[in-house]
Amino acid sequence: MNEAGHGQRVRLVVSWVVVSVLLGYGVVQTVITAAKLFTH
Amino acid sequence: MLSALDRRHTVAPPGYSRWLIPPAALAIHLCIGQVYATSVYKNSLIAHFGASQTAIGVIFSIAIVMLGLSAAVAGTWVEANGPRKAMFVSACFWAAGFLVGALGIATKQLWLLYLGYGVLGGIGLGIGYISPVSTLIKWFPDRPGLATGLAIMGFGGGAMVASPLSRQLLSYYDAGYDPGNAGSTASGAALVWLFVTLGVGYFLIMMFGVFNVRVPAAGWRPAGFDPAQVAAKPLVTTANVSAANAVRTRSFWLLWVVLFCNVTAGIGILEQASPMIQDFFRHDRTSTVSVAAAGGFVGLLSLFNMAGRFVWSSASDVIGRKPIYLMYLGVGMVLYVLLALFGQLATALFVLLACVILSFYGGGFATVPAYLRDLFGTFEVGAIHGRLLTAWSAAGVAGPLIVNAFLDAQGKPGTLTAAAYRPALFTMVGVLAVGFVANLLIRPVPERFHEPASERDGARGAQPVTVERSGS
Repeated sequence: MNEAGHGQRVRLVVSWVVVSVLLGYGVVQTVITAAKLFTH
Repeated sequence: MLSALDRRHTVAPPGYSRWLIPPAALAIHLCIGQVYATSVYKNSLIAHFGASQTAIGVIFSIAIVMLGLSAAVAGTWVEANGPRKAMFVSACFWAAGFLVGALGIATKQLWLLYLGYGVLGGIGLGIGYISPVSTLIKWFPDRPGLATGLAIMGFGGGAMVASPLSRQLLSYYDAGYDPGNAGSTASGAALVWLFVTLGVGYFLIMMFGVFNVRVPAAGWRPAGFDPAQVAAKPLVTTANVSAANAVRTRSFWLLWVVLFCNVTAGIGILEQASPMIQDFFRHDRTSTVSVAAAGGFVGLLSLFNMAGRFVWSSASDVIGRKPIYLMYLGVGMVLYVLLALFGQLATALFVLLACVILSFYGGGFATVPAYLRDLFGTFEVGAIHGRLLTAWSAAGVAGPLIVNAFLDAQGKPGTLTAAAYRPALFTMVGVLAVGFVANLLIRPVPERFHEPASERDGARGAQPVTVERSGS
């Protein structure tokens, strides 16, 4: 794999990790809140 | 310096992966979706300014109205200047909104909060919302519903990130603030630091999108994609219609009505969700659903609202745009009737019906850019989308007005039961029926509105480089 291709792959992984972490944080926090519907 | 952000400087080089574009779009939408999390610090603002609920609620209303107006007015500018400059401008307005808002809180000048978060932030919202849409559609001509669904899912997700984050930041900046206690309010200083943190943080995340976004070279298409197959589907055109011409077509205004009706019906439930579930299960003035459980219901609706944006919009690539709106509106009518007549029988049934309705609400938002692409082509689809979003602003006013007007006539909050909601819910069935008929009436745009053939590559302003390669 050439350097540009490797750089793009890193950029792809970093991009998706950043948005996944953000979205994942929101989803987990909301699931914790939503669970109260079934526990209270 | 800004010329480096121009469309002509953002044409993707050969080999650029199109899968870098959805996270760039998500970086924008995850940030601006914060606008739906303003209720987290509403009580703290009321206490800090000593203002009424309405005076603070107006901040959110100004932002949503500015969203619709700026998307409609700046849509053509966004198309002409490209997604990178639009995202940058959006980030500047959005961050400036928070910073000017922080200044307003620090100096106890409420008008600065209106100007900052409401006006400046609202402009950032509108430009940011439409900025990645046409770029995504051009990168994903084979799966436009999936691509725009991903981005617009981020808008729903943005509130889910901002709500808990704001609570945690407020308790970090003010040790006396208890996020678990609905009556607890944060200090003015904590609010100032919250706004500064969010402004700076969102600006940095949005720069991530600015850095990654590219427009495809003219004539680019994904490997194995045959535009002739797309054109063979009913209601899908290979022609292009300008934004100025689009608003002169009957189909645009029918789609405006479709979006307005779908959003009005959804907002009716969303805005009233917490008291609604408590009222539906109220017996002898006492609800069997606790305040905490009602909060959980709101969280569950947020999840379905977000998931619906991705799932239903992606499904529309297979089912077709018109049929899926018939489902949102037609099945939505049935679900509203079931909710009105049988929702009070079991909590599980009530929750299930409301969640599916909210998934249709989200799906309606996310599918509409792809529907516009089908009808008007890719030429100025972002600008057309911007003009269509005025339906959202209008529905944001109409939905709560309808529900609140009916509920006010039924009695005082805290005393209502399921029966009190029936007039409002049946009215929503009527609203959905209007949207259903409007969707049925949508027809292909007449040829007289099409752009000349030279504009049909749909890659406005891009360098005339034809690259056909993989990248999917």
